[in-house]
Amino acid sequence: MTDLSIRSVAVSPVLAPRRRFMLLRRLLAHRSFQIGAVLVLALTLAAILAPLTGVDPSSMRVRLRFRPPSEAFPFGSDNFGRDVLTRVLYGARVSLWIGFVVALLSGLCGAVLGVIAAQIRGLDAPLMRLMDALMSFPAILLALGITAALGPRMESVIIALTVAYVPAGVRIVRASALVVRELDYVQAARIAGAGNFRIMLRHILPNSVGPLLVHMTFVFAYSILAEAALSFLGVGVQPPTPSWGNIIAEGRDYATEAWWVMLFPGLGISLAALGLNLLGDGLRDVLDPRLKGTG
Amino acid sequence: MTAPLTNTAPTDPIVAMRDVDMAFAAGRVDGRPVVQQVLHKVSFEIGAGETLGLVGESGSGKSTAGRIVVGLYEPTGGSVTLFGQPITGPDRRANLANVRSRLQFVFQDPHAALNPRMRVGSSIAEPIEIAGRHSRKDRDDRVRQLLEMVGLPRDSADRFPHEFSGGQRQRIVIARALALEPGFVVCDEPVSALDVSMQAQIINLLMDLQARFGLSYLFIAHDLAVVRAISHRVAVLYAGSIVEVAPKPDLYARPQHPYTRALLDAVPRPDPWRERPPVIAGEVPSLLAPPPGCRFHTRCPHVMPRCRVDVPRLQSTGPGRLTACHLFDEGGIAAVPDHSSRPASHVER
Amino acid sequence: MAAAGRSNEPLVSIQDLTVQFRTDRGWTTAVEGVSFDIGDGDCVGVVGESGSGKSVTALSMLRLHARGTSRFPTGRVLHAGRDLLTAPERELRRIRGGDIAMVFQDPMSSLNPVLTICDQISETLRLHQGMSRPDARRRAIELLDLVRIADAPRRVDEYPHRLSGGMRQRVMIAIAIACRPRLLIADEPTTALDVTIQAQILELLRDLRAELGMAVMLISHDLGVIAEFARRVIVMYAGRVVEDAPVEVLFRKPLHPYTEGLMASMPSLDGADTATLYSIPGRIPDPDETIAGCRFGPRCSYAEPACSAVPPELVSVDGGHRVRCPPRTRTVTPTATGARQ
Repeated sequence: MTDLSIRSVAVSPVLAPRRRFMLLRRLLAHRSFQIGAVLVLALTLAAILAPLTGVDPSSMRVRLRFRPPSEAFPFGSDNFGRDVLTRVLYGARVSLWIGFVVALLSGLCGAVLGVIAAQIRGLDAPLMRLMDALMSFPAILLALGITAALGPRMESVIIALTVAYVPAGVRIVRASALVVRELDYVQAARIAGAGNFRIMLRHILPNSVGPLLVHMTFVFAYSILAEAALSFLGVGVQPPTPSWGNIIAEGRDYATEAWWVMLFPGLGISLAALGLNLLGDGLRDVLDPRLKGTG
Repeated sequence: MTAPLTNTAPTDPIVAMRDVDMAFAAGRVDGRPVVQQVLHKVSFEIGAGETLGLVGESGSGKSTAGRIVVGLYEPTGGSVTLFGQPITGPDRRANLANVRSRLQFVFQDPHAALNPRMRVGSSIAEPIEIAGRHSRKDRDDRVRQLLEMVGLPRDSADRFPHEFSGGQRQRIVIARALALEPGFVVCDEPVSALDVSMQAQIINLLMDLQARFGLSYLFIAHDLAVVRAISHRVAVLYAGSIVEVAPKPDLYARPQHPYTRALLDAVPRPDPWRERPPVIAGEVPSLLAPPPGCRFHTRCPHVMPRCRVDVPRLQSTGPGRLTACHLFDEGGIAAVPDHSSRPASHVER
Repeated sequence: MAAAGRSNEPLVSIQDLTVQFRTDRGWTTAVEGVSFDIGDGDCVGVVGESGSGKSVTALSMLRLHARGTSRFPTGRVLHAGRDLLTAPERELRRIRGGDIAMVFQDPMSSLNPVLTICDQISETLRLHQGMSRPDARRRAIELLDLVRIADAPRRVDEYPHRLSGGMRQRVMIAIAIACRPRLLIADEPTTALDVTIQAQILELLRDLRAELGMAVMLISHDLGVIAEFARRVIVMYAGRVVEDAPVEVLFRKPLHPYTEGLMASMPSLDGADTATLYSIPGRIPDPDETIAGCRFGPRCSYAEPACSAVPPELVSVDGGHRVRCPPRTRTVTPTATGARQ
C-alpha cells in the first residue's frame, strides 16, 4: 500500500471536457439581459434601416404640418411638415452613436487611468484629485461649459460627455485594480521580474474591468439622456440634423398641439435607456462573482 | 531524501539571512507613529539541495520572511545574500536582477496564484518571456516539458485556471516556478489549501523535483507533520524571532525550546489512545507591544525571573542545533526534563 | 421530563438525506442517502475532504440553505418528533439557537463588525428566552466566563475587531451555548486557528460538553482532531457516508478503503519518517460527475467488477460499525451482537 512509485502517484488524471464560453452562455440565458439585448438590437436595427422609409428627414411639406399619426405619417408630422418617423429613425442614429462612443471612450480612458492610478503610486494622488475636481461639477454643467467653448456640434457633445463620465470609470477601475494588485499572481509576475507596464497590461487590466463593463452600459444610457438635456439647452446637436434630443427640444414649443413630436423620440430615449439598464443588470449578475478578478 | 544532506548549517550557503529586522508602520497611537516589529534579528542559512522548514503560527512573521528572501520586501535591518550576492544595501536592484532567474516562489492559494484571464501555458511561460532569451517555439516546448514534469496532460496549456482543481492548479504553479530552472524556491504554505490526499501528491512531487534538480527549498508552513515530511532542517519562529533551529530528526524527537514542545504537543494526532498533554494557555502577543524579555515568557510553563527581563539569544545547544532560551544558558541542558515526561508546574531556578 | 423514555430515542435522526443544489447545469446532488443518529450527549465526529458533503449535511439539519436553490428529494431529519426538513419556518427558528446550535469555521466573518459582543450574545438570549437587557448582559458576562475569556465584564462591550481569532471563536461558542442547546454542531471550528489555539478550543468544547451535558457534532477534515475529540466517527466521501464506527474501532481497524487511504496519506509526527508519502491515486470527483457504482471505485485498490456496477449499501458489521464496501465487509464475519448505538 505504501509502495507506489512517484511517477504513478504524481500523474493526475485526464482533465474534464472543456465547456467553452460559459460566461457567454450564462449571459444569454439571463432574462434581463435577453430583454435588454432585444430592445437595444431592435433600436439599433431601426436606426440602421432608417433609409428604408424612403423619406428625406429634412424634406418639408409645410401644408401637411401638425398632422397627427396616420397612414401617411405613422408618427405624425412636425411644425415644418417633416415626417416624424423618419426624423426619429435618423435621430436614433445620432443619439445611439453618441451614447456608444461616449461609453467606449470614457470606458477606455477610465480603464487606462484607473490602472495607472492603482499601480503607480506617485501618480495616484494627482490623478485622483483631478478626477475629484471633475466630478465635483454636475455632468450637465460640465458638458454645457465644454460644448459652449467648442461650439455646439456632435463632436463637442461627445467630448464633453466623455470628460464628464471618465472620473466615475477611473474610480471603479482603480478600486478593482487595488485589490487585484495584491493578489498572488501579480506578486508572481513581480518575482519573475515583470515591469510595471507588463503587470498593468496583462494582469491588472484584464482582471479589473468587470465592474467597468457594467458601468459602461449605464453610461451609454446616461449619455443619451444627457444629449437630450443638452439639446434642450440649445447646445446639443444642431438642427437640421435630427437627434432625439433636439426633436424633443423643437417640439416643446407646440407640445399641446402636436404631442406626438415629443412623444416618439421620448419613447425612443426611454426604451434605449431601459434596454441598456437591463443589459447592464444582466452583465452584472453574471459577472458578479468574477468582479473581484479571481475567477 | 534518505540521507540528510547536512546536520549542521551549510558551509557554502546559497541563501543567507543575517539579523534581519522587518518593521511595518502601523499608524499612530497618541500622536506618535507606532511600528510593528514583524521580524527581529532573524538569521538562517540554506545550502544547495536542502530544504529548510520554517514553522510558525500566525504572527510569527514566516510569510514576511519568505517574501524578504525573494526580494519582494526590503528589510529594515540586517542583510540577505542569495547565491553570494547581497540583495540588501546599495546594489540591491542590480544584484536582484542578476539572481532573479534562479529564484522562485510557490504560493499558498492555488486560486489566487494564477491569472484567471491568462491561459495556463502563458502563465507558465511568463518568466521565460520576461527573461527574453528564448524563441516562441522554445517557450512552448519548455511549457510542455514542464507540464509533463509536474504530471499534467500536455494539452493543459491552452486551458484556463478555472478548468482545473486546486491540486492541479498547484501543480501549474510549481511548473511556473520551475520554468527558468531555479536553484532556490520559496514555498509559502503550498499545501495548506489542499485536501489531505492532494497534499501528499504535491509534497511527493516537490521532493521528487528536489532530488532530480538539486533544488533548495525554504518551506514555510504551520503544519508540523508536513514540514517533517519534506525538510532536512527546521527553524521555529515565534512572534518574529527564531527560537530554535535543528536538524529535522532532532527537532521532532528531542525538541528543546518550550514553544517547540508546546507546538508539537498541541498538534492533534490520529490516535485516540494518546494521552493528551496539557494545553498551553494564552495567545501570541501583539507585535505592537511585545512583552519585555523573551517574547514567549507570558505562556511558558518554565518561565523564570530572568525570562521577563533578558531577551534570550540563539546559542549552540548541540551538533547543528541552536536554541534561544534561558533554560539552556551556560550549557544547562539538563535543566529541562525529557520530552516524554511532562512537568506539572514551573521550574524555578 | 421523562428522561428514561427519551434516552432511547436519538436526539437527531438523519434518515436517507439527499440534498441537491441548482447550478447552471441543472440540479446537482451534493449529498445522497445520508443516515446516522445522534443521541443525547453523544460526541460525534464527521470527517471528510472537500466535496464530501459534511458541511452540507450539517447546514441541512437546520435547513439553512437558501430555499430557491436547494431541495431535498428524499429523507428526513427527525428531532423531537418533527421532521426538520418540512417543519414550518417558525418552528425551525425556535430550534435554531435553542435546541440545536451551530458554530462555523471562520470567526472573522461570523460576527457582525458593527455590534458589540454584548449585543450579539444578548440577541440570542432575548430572542429565545425573552430576557430583558440588563439580564441578558449579566448572562452574557457569565457566558464569556464560561468560555474562558479573561476580563469578561470589560470585554463584553468590545467590538469584534479588537479580538483575536481564538477569542472570536470563543464568543461564537458562547453565543451558541447561550440557550443551553441539546446539540452543538461545530463545522470546522478550529480550521482557521493556530494549532495551539486549536488545542485550547477543543479542550473548551470537551469541558463544555461535560458541564452542560450537550451532544456535540464536530465536523473536520483533520483526522487528528477527530481522533482526539470524537467518541464516534462518521467518514464521508463524495456526498455519502462510507464508514460509521466508534473512534477506537475506526482507528484500530478501518474497513473502508478510503478511510484507510486517508489515514495512510497523513504525514505523521511520531512514526517512521518515510521517504515518500502515500497518496490515494486519482482525485475527488466533482459533485456532478456521474460514476457508475461506488463513487470511490476509480481510486480504490480493492475494487472488483461488481463495484462499478451497483452502488454499495451501508452495511452493519459488529460493534456498531457500518461500512459501505462489499469487498471489505465480506472479509469480516459479523458476530451476533445486541450492541446498539
